[in-house]
Amino acid sequence: MSFPVLCQKVRSGVALSLADGLELYHHPNLLEVGALANEVRERLHGARTYFNRNLHINPTNVCVAACNLCSFSRRDAGAAGAFVLTVEQAVDKLHARLAAGDRVTEVHIVGGLHDGLPFAYFTELLARLKTVDASISIKAFSAVEIFFFHRLYRMSIEEILRRLQAAGLDSLPGGGAEIFSPRVRSAICPNKCGADEWLDVHRTAHRLGIKSNCTMLFGTVETLTERVEHLLRLRELQDETGGLLAFIPLPFHPENNALGDRPAPTATEALRTCAVARLMLHNVPHIKAYWVSLGLATAQTALWFGADDFDGTVSEEKIYHQAGALSPQALAPDAIARIVREAGRVPVERDTLYGRFSPAAKQEAV
Amino acid sequence: MPRLRLTAVSFLNTRPIVYGIERGLALVNHRFELRFDLPSRCAAAIASGDADLALMPLGSFADAPDEFRVVPGVAIASRGPVRTVMLMGDVPWEEMDTILLDEASRTSQILVQLLTRERGLAPGFVRAGHDRIADLVGDRRGALMIGDLCFSASARFRHVYDLGAEWTERVGLPFVYAAWIGRPDAVSPGDVALLQDSLAQGLVHRDEIARDWAEENGVDVELCKRYLRENIRYELGAGELCGATAFLERAQAAGLVGVGRKSVVRFFANEVRAKPASGAAPRSLDSVLSDAAAGVRLSFDDGVRLHDAASLCDLGLAADARRLALHPHGVVTYIIDRNVNYTNACTTACQFCNFYRPPGDSRVYTLSRAELTEKLQETVDMGGIQVLLQGGINPELGLGYYEDLFRWMKANFPIAIHGLSPEEIRYLAEREQLTIRAVLERLMAAGLDSVPGGAAEILDDEIRQRISPHKCSVATWLDVMRQAHSLGLRSTATMVFGFGEQARHIVGHFDKLRALEDETAGFTAFICWSFQAEGTRLPLRDDTTATRYLRTLALARLYLDNFPNVQVSWVTMGPAIGQIGLRFGGNDFGSAMIEENVVAQAGAVFKLSASDIEGYVRAAGFTPRRRNMRYEWL
Repeated sequence: MSFPVLCQKVRSGVALSLADGLELYHHPNLLEVGALANEVRERLHGARTYFNRNLHINPTNVCVAACNLCSFSRRDAGAAGAFVLTVEQAVDKLHARLAAGDRVTEVHIVGGLHDGLPFAYFTELLARLKTVDASISIKAFSAVEIFFFHRLYRMSIEEILRRLQAAGLDSLPGGGAEIFSPRVRSAICPNKCGADEWLDVHRTAHRLGIKSNCTMLFGTVETLTERVEHLLRLRELQDETGGLLAFIPLPFHPENNALGDRPAPTATEALRTCAVARLMLHNVPHIKAYWVSLGLATAQTALWFGADDFDGTVSEEKIYHQAGALSPQALAPDAIARIVREAGRVPVERDTLYGRFSPAAKQEAV
Repeated sequence: MPRLRLTAVSFLNTRPIVYGIERGLALVNHRFELRFDLPSRCAAAIASGDADLALMPLGSFADAPDEFRVVPGVAIASRGPVRTVMLMGDVPWEEMDTILLDEASRTSQILVQLLTRERGLAPGFVRAGHDRIADLVGDRRGALMIGDLCFSASARFRHVYDLGAEWTERVGLPFVYAAWIGRPDAVSPGDVALLQDSLAQGLVHRDEIARDWAEENGVDVELCKRYLRENIRYELGAGELCGATAFLERAQAAGLVGVGRKSVVRFFANEVRAKPASGAAPRSLDSVLSDAAAGVRLSFDDGVRLHDAASLCDLGLAADARRLALHPHGVVTYIIDRNVNYTNACTTACQFCNFYRPPGDSRVYTLSRAELTEKLQETVDMGGIQVLLQGGINPELGLGYYEDLFRWMKANFPIAIHGLSPEEIRYLAEREQLTIRAVLERLMAAGLDSVPGGAAEILDDEIRQRISPHKCSVATWLDVMRQAHSLGLRSTATMVFGFGEQARHIVGHFDKLRALEDETAGFTAFICWSFQAEGTRLPLRDDTTATRYLRTLALARLYLDNFPNVQVSWVTMGPAIGQIGLRFGGNDFGSAMIEENVVAQAGAVFKLSASDIEGYVRAAGFTPRRRNMRYEWL
């Protein structure tokens, strides 16, 4: 199909096919693809660019999965650098942020698959965080962790989710999706749950009223077809449930992990993937330029390649920094607003569910 | 005033150049006397004093005295297939044991010998008469053919090579066949303008010229039209100057022309009349963008409008289209060189600089010969071909220091010296009580190859007053570059933004560079980056982010329509943005830097090897090629 026909499809809101997705990847003019994604982005969100104030907590880096792509995990609780936060320590992190004057609206929790912790550890963690401030939204546990809990604690996925929800869980992060293709999963994360399980966790969550995000880790061993197929499966799920809030493209970072001999995907590839995702996932409302993974400069540029969300203030990111990410550990809301404004966009602070918005302060302190 | 005697060859491709002269344009009529002659005789006519100016083949120019000058803006050149300089035969180039050389063109003879050598081949070369050369081809005997003959002969042979295309594919630069050349006092700036007018008239009437020629010579009209429109290029800009120099140097190195002559090409003084800019009537932003993408010259006001109102994507798309038109091969170049900051002592005390130390400070250094030896040897060992030599304004170092340094470097290392920004050159002139021209001449004699475009920051005196009050003024900066270009030195031009300037300052900077380039064709490339504030004394919080850089880069590509190359600055902006910049107008990835000290002191700490650079370039969809300072592919 020719590119003008593809543009016509996009403008008339027709869902793109696998072949279209590949054409977007192969099209020689990156900026034409970017401009088309930008059209969709502006149709949906105008110049608005969302961000939130969030805190990352990684309860543990002990993990039985031993994925080749990971630089964060430790196989055994006794290994050098292995840690498990006590509930108290985790809650203290939130207290510390609030005491420092940060009006955090979301706590983002992901961790390793630790087979030595009781389920009560997690429910207590959520409940205790909620007692600090019930209005702070908790986005916790990737589908991979939920599925691991289901196996380890011998409860159905639904039961796990219901209990976590009762303890304070508000939404699920989008991690662990990597690439759905079994060929790729067996190469980069053979011990993680499969695509069907990942999708089933999200489907179940959506049924329980738990919204979620979704991701794609690109630049390891997958083909372009496998990337587009991944996006199509997410789109199918969204058609079914409508529970996905945002898609986050994640370029692979090669340092300190077993896949380290391959080059990381470059900035032009990240921008293209961002644009392709915006165009393929017409039913997912938001595309997030996660600055921790993309780097500030590329993330800012991505705001013109389909992305409408800059993620959050983050603070204390560990997973990508272990893999060589050069971005800062945290950004103040003013700094995010400034970068967004300098990109020619309008910064809007949001809550986790994109339900409440407040314009970012006009003037940041110099 | 005596009439000027001009000599030219009567080929189809010279017709547009002499069009106005032949038809006696109002003023031209009384000024010039035109005679047609054989190419080989054009040069002789100048030598014997029978003519003042000749439309001289480049091959003859190679043998002409150093002092000869070239009329700016007028040339017979190609950038790709030329169709009238061809190698033909029944066997491939590699299998030819003899190549017959058409006696009519010495330039083409040199070109085919050069290209044959560069392919690693060594057939015999034998001269043959133009009229019967095609009939002598056979077996393993090929022939260089030129002119109209190529149109008819190319169908007769199995293997046909277009030497214009071969040159550009190998070198990455245009090929210059001929230009108006004469003694330095031969023509006045007014004459230069008339000669440019004659060509301008001819270009308007290209189709008519083609038709007349086709009828007279019994050749296909469409063929002639396409030849004048698509194959021959008549401009003589920076790219063509670089191409001519590359040819002269290679020909000298191969012993095909006399050695000893400098391979620089210098212009006659020029009465500059810039190309008119578009934008008389108010137009939509879209039409400004599409015009700019098509190569129409932007007016100052349209530049400001694009700066303020065009979206990032739209600027990028237009700049990318322009880049593609100028660099259709999909090649992104880079150089291996080293920054050598020979001293950090500096009296200029610019607010934005974190590198300098005031003279007398305990941390002041000037590199010793031993330190330099180590750096230069390392550079050569890593495949480096150039040093970018820049330093502070150190009152202890006079012109003699630089002359000694350059001579020593040239005697000991096979390395080009891209050295001394206009500020350093201005200071030497002041210190030594010499003219800028005299300083440049002495530096050139000592080995200076080209001038880096530093110390430009923003070419606006108000802003310079604020951020670097002791640095050279705009007029001085431009004058140093003008003098350097007129001496045959090439230079780059830079811009650093993020000092709180507005659209009119940025576009004004571009405008000044563009006007000077119209005059001298001496700038090879433009490079910009944003101010790196960390640790400097300038308490600024201007926008220095990636998107502003990309917008500025794209606007530069569009506005600087006469600059052949635009570099991305990964050193300051980071490799990711450098790579993205290749889609926002950039066609060069700068340097695989072995060392950088100045912006590193202000927080920019990126480092890339040649293979890293090639990786980024390939991932962006381009083919990486190494180059030298002229952007000649290596």
